[in-house]
Amino acid sequence: MSQDFRLDKIGLINRDKKISFKFNGKSYFGYEGDTLASALIANGVHLVGRSFKYHRPRGFFGAGVDEPYAIVQLYRNNETDPNVRATEQELFEGLEATSVNCWPSVNFDIGAINNFLNKFFPAGFYYKTFMWPKSFWYKVYEPFIRKAAGFGVASIKHDQERYEHKYEYCDLLITGSGPSGLASAYAAAINGARVILAEDKPRFGGSLLTSEVNIGNQSGKEWAEKIITELKGMPNVIVKNRAQVFGYYDHNMLVMSERINDHLPKSKKYSPKQRLWYIRAKEVVISSGSIERPLVFGNNDTPGVVLSSAAKEYLKVYGVLVGRNPLIFTNNDSAYETAIEFKKNGIWPIVLDTRSNPESEIIDEAKRMGIDIKFSYVVIAAKGYKKVKSAEIAKISEDKKDLGKIENLNCDCICVSGFWTPTIHLASQSGNKTKFNKEIDAFVPNQPKQEETTVGSANGVFNLEETLKKSFEVGHKLSKKITNKDNKVSVPQVVEKKTTQHDKFWCVPLPKGKKYKRFLDFQNDVAVTDIELALREGYRSIEHVKRYTTLGMATDQGKTSNLNGLQLVSNVENKIVPEVGHTTFRPPYTPVTIGAIVGREVGKHSKPTRKSPMHLWHEKNNAVFVDAGVWLRPRYYKRSNETLFEASKREATNVRKNVGVCDVTTLGKIDIKGPDAAELLNRVYTNAWLKLPVGKARYGAMLREDGIVMDDGTTTRILENHYHMTTTTAQAANVLSHLEYYLQVVWPELNVNVVSTTEQWAGAAIAGPKSRDVLQKLFPDINVSNEDLPFMGYIESNLFGVHARIFRISFSGELAYEVNVESDNGNFMWEKIMEIGKEFEIQPYGTEALSTLRIEMGHVAGSELDGRTIPYDNSLEGMVSKKKDFIGKRSLNREAFIAKDRQKVVGVVPLDKKTSIPEGSHLVKDANAKLPNPKLGHISASCWSVEYNNPFSLAILHDGKNMIGEKLFALSPLKNKSIAVEIVSSHYVDPKGERVRS
Amino acid sequence: MQKYSVFNLIKNAFTGHKNWEVAWKDPTPKSEYDVVIIGGGGHGLATAYYLAKEHNITNVAIIEKGWIGGGNVGRNTTIIRSNYMHDDNARFSEFGMNLWRNMSQELNFNVMFSPRGIINLAHSDAQMNVFSRRGNSMRLNGIDAVLLGREEVKKIIPMADFSENVRFPIFGGLMQPSAGTARHDGVAWGYARQADSMGVDIIQNCEVTGFDVVGGKIKGIRTSKGDIKANKVGLCVAGSTSILAEKLNMTLPVETHLLQACVSEPIKPILDSVVTFGAGHFYCSQSDKGEMVMGGDLDGYNSYAQRGNLPTLQHVLTEGIAMFPFLSKLKMLRTWGGIMDMSMDGSPIIDKTHIEGLYLNCGWCYGGFKATPASGWTFAHTIAQDKVHELNAGYSLNRFHTGHLLDEKGLGTKTWIS
Amino acid sequence: MLHIKCPYCGMRSQNEFAYGGDASVKRPELNKETTDSEWDSFVYLRKSLRGKHLELWHHISGCRQWFKVQRDTATHEIFKTLKPSEDI
Repeated sequence: MSQDFRLDKIGLINRDKKISFKFNGKSYFGYEGDTLASALIANGVHLVGRSFKYHRPRGFFGAGVDEPYAIVQLYRNNETDPNVRATEQELFEGLEATSVNCWPSVNFDIGAINNFLNKFFPAGFYYKTFMWPKSFWYKVYEPFIRKAAGFGVASIKHDQERYEHKYEYCDLLITGSGPSGLASAYAAAINGARVILAEDKPRFGGSLLTSEVNIGNQSGKEWAEKIITELKGMPNVIVKNRAQVFGYYDHNMLVMSERINDHLPKSKKYSPKQRLWYIRAKEVVISSGSIERPLVFGNNDTPGVVLSSAAKEYLKVYGVLVGRNPLIFTNNDSAYETAIEFKKNGIWPIVLDTRSNPESEIIDEAKRMGIDIKFSYVVIAAKGYKKVKSAEIAKISEDKKDLGKIENLNCDCICVSGFWTPTIHLASQSGNKTKFNKEIDAFVPNQPKQEETTVGSANGVFNLEETLKKSFEVGHKLSKKITNKDNKVSVPQVVEKKTTQHDKFWCVPLPKGKKYKRFLDFQNDVAVTDIELALREGYRSIEHVKRYTTLGMATDQGKTSNLNGLQLVSNVENKIVPEVGHTTFRPPYTPVTIGAIVGREVGKHSKPTRKSPMHLWHEKNNAVFVDAGVWLRPRYYKRSNETLFEASKREATNVRKNVGVCDVTTLGKIDIKGPDAAELLNRVYTNAWLKLPVGKARYGAMLREDGIVMDDGTTTRILENHYHMTTTTAQAANVLSHLEYYLQVVWPELNVNVVSTTEQWAGAAIAGPKSRDVLQKLFPDINVSNEDLPFMGYIESNLFGVHARIFRISFSGELAYEVNVESDNGNFMWEKIMEIGKEFEIQPYGTEALSTLRIEMGHVAGSELDGRTIPYDNSLEGMVSKKKDFIGKRSLNREAFIAKDRQKVVGVVPLDKKTSIPEGSHLVKDANAKLPNPKLGHISASCWSVEYNNPFSLAILHDGKNMIGEKLFALSPLKNKSIAVEIVSSHYVDPKGERVRS
Repeated sequence: MQKYSVFNLIKNAFTGHKNWEVAWKDPTPKSEYDVVIIGGGGHGLATAYYLAKEHNITNVAIIEKGWIGGGNVGRNTTIIRSNYMHDDNARFSEFGMNLWRNMSQELNFNVMFSPRGIINLAHSDAQMNVFSRRGNSMRLNGIDAVLLGREEVKKIIPMADFSENVRFPIFGGLMQPSAGTARHDGVAWGYARQADSMGVDIIQNCEVTGFDVVGGKIKGIRTSKGDIKANKVGLCVAGSTSILAEKLNMTLPVETHLLQACVSEPIKPILDSVVTFGAGHFYCSQSDKGEMVMGGDLDGYNSYAQRGNLPTLQHVLTEGIAMFPFLSKLKMLRTWGGIMDMSMDGSPIIDKTHIEGLYLNCGWCYGGFKATPASGWTFAHTIAQDKVHELNAGYSLNRFHTGHLLDEKGLGTKTWIS
Repeated sequence: MLHIKCPYCGMRSQNEFAYGGDASVKRPELNKETTDSEWDSFVYLRKSLRGKHLELWHHISGCRQWFKVQRDTATHEIFKTLKPSEDI
C-alpha cells in the first residue's frame, strides 16, 4: 500500500525504519516515530470508528490526548487493550488494531440507522420512553442499549504485564516540556533545585516542535533539543518523556503515569509496562499548554474535519497531509501557520476567516505567499458522509447573524481553529478556583491553593517572548526559595510573528430551512440542539446540562467540547460565562490504566500472607490451610482421603482421649511493662486485676466504650510489673492501638509501656488428658504437677536448651498448656513436642478441631463476639466487676442491655441427634409461620460433639436464660432446612470445668 | 403535566423538540409554606413528592443550596438492594424495593430500574456462615436470597478470579436476585418533576443561613433568598447535616466522611450483576453506557471535600483486580467523591427532634441511594402525621441512648472504618 | 495523600498513620458519676465540623504515638500537630 498522504522530506519520523502494522485486518506500513493515527492518515485511512450514540462515521480530529474520535482496540503480544487512542499510540512492528463500536464493519455499520432516526433520539430521550410494558426495560430495552453502547472489548485473560510504583520527592515538578516548561525547568535546575520534568508525549518540546520561531538564533526545535540535552546531563534533574502527570492531590502530592513499554511490540525483560510515580513536590510548575477549540458548524463531525493545530502537527512531525485540498476555517491567527505550512509543501489551502479585516504579520505573510483568504466567511456545513468532499460556505454579516448566499467549495479536509483553551486541569484539581479571562474567552488559574504556579499558554499567555521571560523568572524564583541560591540564566532573544485579536465567534448559525447537526461533544454525539433542549426543559445548571446531555462525559472528558458547551449555555441563558461556571475537573487528566494504579499487589500478592514459624512443618504434614485474616493456619491435617469432617473429628477426639498440639502463634501477644500495668489491666478488662499474683494468668474480656465486647484473652503476670497479654488473632492490631490510645491520650499518668510481641513468640497449645505427661518429658527440670503448675499457672523453663514460657491455660476445655518460645525456635519446639508426644499418641490438630472443642465446651469466640454482643450475652456476667470502673462499664446499664429478655448464648441440640444445624440458621417457634417469621436468635457456631457423638451448636437467643429446655426450630431457608431442636446450656461438656483443673 | 411516552417523543420529533415543557419550574420562594424541606437531593425531593401524593400537602418548598440532585443522589454507584440482616433495616428496604419496582411508571420518568441481582462474594467457610445468617434472615423476612457455591458463582461471573494465583479464593456468595441498579440522576429528576407538577416549589441556589426557633417550636428558616415561615421543617441534607445541626445547637451521632467512586472507560457488556468482594471493600457493576462503576472504602478521615486522594482508590482498585483480574487492562476514566453522613451504628435516623416541628432525616452512610423512595415515604409520613411510621420506628435518635442499635457490621462508633 | 507532621518523627506520608477521630471528645473520669446525656455525648455525639477540626492520628507504622492534628475538613490544610498533652 502506498502512502499517498506522506510527504517526502518533512517530519521527525525515522524514514530508515519501516514498520508494518494491520488495521481492521489490512496490512499497512509506517515509520518509526509515527503514531497509529499519523500512519493511518499517511495511508489514506480516514474512517476509524463510529460515534457512541448515532454511529456516525468517525475519523481523526486531533493529534494527541484531546482526540475524541479515534479509539481502537489494540492487539499487542497476544493481549488486547480496549479503547486505545490512535493519536497517542506509537507505531510498533506488528501492531494490530481494529475499529470499535461498529458492526459488521466500520464501513458498513448497522448501528448507523440511529443516525437516520436521530431526531427521535434527542438528549435524554431514554428518560421519556422505554417505560412500557413494565418488565421490558430490564428484559428488552436495556440489554439492547447495553449492547449498542460501550467501545472496546475487555479480554478476561489475566494481564501478563507488570506495573510498578515509585515514590519520589523533588523541589520542582514541571508538567510539560513546551517552551514554558523547558524555561522554568532550566532556570530552576541551574539554580540547584531538584527538578522533575515530565512530558506526556514521546518527543520533548511541545509547541516548539511545530512553530516557526527562533530562540537565541536557533529554531525553537533546536533550542528545545539543546535545553533537554543539558537538563538530561544534570544530576539534580529527572527528565521523563511518555510521562503524564494526571492528578494533583492534597499536600502537593502529584501522580504521574509513565508509559515505559507501550510503544514496543512487547515489554522488555525486567521492565514494567507502565510505572506510576507518586511525587511529593515542594513546588509545582504547571506548563501543560493549551488545546485548540473547534468551531461549530453543520456536520462538523465528518471525517476530515480536524483541528488546524493537529493538521500542522501531522505535517511537521510526521510529514503527513490530512488532505490535499484543505480548507482552513478560523477565527484567529494561529490557523495561518497551518495554511503557510501547507503552502510551503506545495499544497494550496483556502482560508476562511470569520473576521472582517484582521491585520497582523502572519496574515501578511500568508497573503504574500498568495494564499487564498476569504474574510468574513464561514463554513456552514461539511458535505460528505465518510469523508469531507466539499463545504457549504457563505459570507457572514458583521453582527454574525446573517448569512450570504451559500456557495459550494470543493475540499477534502476542513482544518478548524476556534482559538485556544488553556489546560487548567491540574490547577483546578489542586483546588484553584480559576477565573474567566474575557480576553481569551477561557478559564485560567486564579489564586493558587497549593504551591503551584501556572505558566505559558496554560496560563493564557500565547506570546512566546512573554512566556519565556516569565517562565525563566518563575523557575528562578521558586528554586531560590528552596535552594537559597541565586544563579541566573539570561533570557534568550525571541523572534516570533506578532498576532492580532481573535474573533469572539465560534458557532455558525444555521441558514433558514437547514437542519444540520452541529456537534459540541463529538464522541457522545451532543449537538447544539441537545443543549438547547436541556435548557428548554429546565436543566439549567451547567451540571444538569452535562448530566442530561452527557456533554463532556466521554473518554476525552470534554477537552474539546466543554468550553463551547459553556459558551452556548451562556448565550441561550443570557448569562456571562463565569456565571454559568464550569464543572469541576477531577483526576485523572486522561484515563489511566487500572493495572498501573494498583502496581505489584496483584494475584497472590494482593494482600500479605503471614505464616507461623512452623508453617513448613504443617505443609510437609499435609495440613490444609485456612485464611485467618492475612494469616494462614492449618485447618486440619489430612490423612489419606479423609474429609474435613472426618479429619477434624479424629483430631478433636484425640485431644479428648489422648493429647493434641495446635499452632497458636497467630494469637496476638502484647508485652506490658510498668509500675501501673495492673491498674491499666484493671481499667481495660471487665474483671478485677489488681490482685493477680506473679506467675498467674487470668482470663479477661475487654469492652468498647459502647459496652460491646471488643476482645477476650488471657493475660499473665510474668513479674511484678511485667505482663503478657494475648488477644484473638483478628483483633490483635486493634487491641494494641486501643491500649496505646488510653495510655497516651486518656490516662497519660499511667506509667506503662506496651509493645506487640506477636511475631516474637511461637506458640503451641498442648491439650488433652495426657498433656501433662508430654509436658513433663519436655521439661524434665521442673515439676509440672497440678500442685506445682495449677490451672492458670505460669512458669518459665528451658526446652532442651531453649528458653520457654509455659502457661497452663485452655481453650479446648481439656487439661492444657501453652508453650511459647522465641520464633526462631518455633519449629524446634514443635518437632520436639511431636517427637516426645509420640508415645502418648499425640496428633497435631487444626482450627476445625479447635472449634469443635471450644464449641462443645461453650467457650465463646469470634462468631459470638461479633461486635454486637455485650458480656451478659456471652455468659460473661460473672466477669463483670460491680465494684470497679472500666472501659465501657457505664454503657452496660442501658435499657436494651439490661432488658429481662435480653439475648444470651445457649446450646442447641437437634431432637434427632443426627442432623447438623447449618451455621447462620435462625431459631423460630413455628417452622411454618407465614413470613415475616419472627426470629428468636441465630446459630452462631456448630460442631459435631466428639464427646457425645451428636451435633451441637451455640446460638445467641432472645431471652436465652429462660429458654433452656424449650423446643424450637432451626431454619435455614437458604439450605432448605428445618430442624427441630432443643435449647440446652451452652456448657455442653464438663459444665463444671473440672478437666482444666485436673 | 406533559406526559412522557414514545408517542409524545415521536410527535415532538417532528416539531424539532421545541414544545417540551420544563421538567420543573424555577419559582421565587413564597414567604410561608406548610412544610419546608431543606435539601434538594433524592431524599428531599422524594419527601416532597410523597407529602403531596400521600398526604395531600402541596404547599411545600424544597430549599437547595446548589442544584437539585447535586449531592449523593448524583454521586453514588446506583446500587439498589434490601439484603439486610436486622429486621428494621430489612423491612424498611424491602418496602423501598416495591417502590423502586413501580417508580418509572409512577413518576412517568424512566429511572431505568434494572433488577440485575447483587452477589456478595465469600472467601471462606466462616464468611459463608456469616452470609448465611444474613441470607436466612432475609428469607425469613420475605426477601429473596440465594446462597451460591463456587461453581454457581463461576457460571454467573466467569471473569472473576477462579485461578490458582489468587490470594483469597472464591468459596461462594450470597445473591439477592431482585437487587439491581437505577439511573441515579433520573431518580432525582423524576421526583422533582412530579413534585413540581403537584405544586411543590423547588428553590435552587438558596442557602439556609439560620432557623427561627421560638419556645421550642420551629417557626421558619432564614435563607440567602430571604426568610421563609413554616411550622414544619424537614432536614434532609446528608453530609451537610452537622453543619445545619450546629446552627440549631444540636450535636448528632453523625460524622461526615468522604467516599470516592470511579468508572472505567466504556466497554462492551461483560458484567450483568452487581458484585461485591468479600475479602475487602470493593464493589462493581457495569453501567448501561458500558463503564465499570467501582467503589469501596471511605477516605478514612472526616472530610467535607468532594475530592479524595489516590491511595484510597489504589487500595480499592487493588481489591478490584483481586476480584476481577480483567480490570487491570481497563483505564480509570473518572473519579469523584461524595460526602457521607456516617452514623454511629451504620444505620439511618428518621425521626422527630426535641424541637417541635423539626424533623430529621440523616445518617445514611453510604447506603442512601437505595433508600431514596422509602426514606421519602416514611419521612413524609413522619412530617405529615407528626409521628414516626412503624417502618422507621427503629431509626430513632433515642436508640443511641437505649442501646437498641442497628449495627449491621458490628464496627461500633469508628465511623471512618468501613 | 496527606503529608502529616508527627510531633515525634517529623513529616511523613499519610499511609504511615491511622486516623483516630475527634480529639475534642473527652472521656468522663473513671469512677465519677456521669449523667446519661454526658455519657451518650461522649460515646456517640460528634460535632463533625466543617473547617478547623481537632482530631487524633496514630503513627502506627512509625513511632506508634497518638497525637493531635488541627486540620481543615474542607481543604485538608493542616495547621498544627501537637502531642496529646498539648492544647491548641
